[in-house]
Amino acid sequence: MTMNCVAALERIEAKADGLLPPEEEAALAGHLAVCPACSAEEAAISATGPLLRAVTGIRANEKTPAIDAMWTRVRAGIGEAREAPRRPLWAARWAWIPAAFALAVLALLFYPARTDRPPFHPRTFDVAVEDVESDVATVALVDKGEDLPRVIWIIEDAKT
Amino acid sequence: MPKPDPRGRAGAAALFILLLLLLAAAPSEAADTVSVDVGAVYASNEGTSIDPALATIRGKLHAMFNYTSYRMLARKRRSLSVGETGEFDLPDRRTMWATPLPAPGNKVRLSIRIDEGSRKLLTTTLGLRRGGMVLVGGPSHQAGVLILIISAE
Repeated sequence: MTMNCVAALERIEAKADGLLPPEEEAALAGHLAVCPACSAEEAAISATGPLLRAVTGIRANEKTPAIDAMWTRVRAGIGEAREAPRRPLWAARWAWIPAAFALAVLALLFYPARTDRPPFHPRTFDVAVEDVESDVATVALVDKGEDLPRVIWIIEDAKT
Repeated sequence: MPKPDPRGRAGAAALFILLLLLLAAAPSEAADTVSVDVGAVYASNEGTSIDPALATIRGKLHAMFNYTSYRMLARKRRSLSVGETGEFDLPDRRTMWATPLPAPGNKVRLSIRIDEGSRKLLTTTLGLRRGGMVLVGGPSHQAGVLILIISAE
């Protein structure tokens, strides 16, 4: 059976792709031997395949570092995404320390200092004067009742 | 949204309670010490002002004395052990010494001495309850007198 050029071109492409059945190679070779156009096409396609593979390989090698870097970034991103939910938990766990410190500072700041002048808050005026004397003054004891403080009044003799 | 860590909350609560306990314990005095608070007040008829520190005893002062103005000149608090003498500087070269003496229960006994220069102005021994107050007045100061507010805790 004679092979026409259309069928020959299909088989040429199949041969270039490595898909041509072995039993058809003889028929294709017979057609190429008698058809200069198909023979030229076959020569061009056969030369293009290795050239394309070579170019693709070079490009692939050129892009390998970039691809590796991209994968490194992707892996780092995945790691960060895994770490991200832990940060708020860590912060929440230890956030009470500065808060407690601030509370302590505020408490100390606003706690009544002993060196200032807080109001007097006497709870009792029950006072017993066991003894009293003065070398230079007359001393009087003033007692106006339990609700009022006892007073020791010094009357300076030299100044009166 | 992450849930708050219950351990963090518990820690904060524990620290807060600890701080409150520390603050509550800070002003308390040991049983064998006496906190002696001495305020030197200038009482006069110059004006009608009352020192804010005297606001709580303003009525008592007006009931006891005829002065219209009361101004705190100095105030000092000292925590003294029994037998320990604390010195309090007063206006006009006067000095007061207070010494807690042994006393039962919540009683406080204070030995008080007030000198004016080299003159012994007053020597007395007072017995009062913790939280009690006594006034010592009369020494002249400017246009009025000096009144010492002595309280023991």
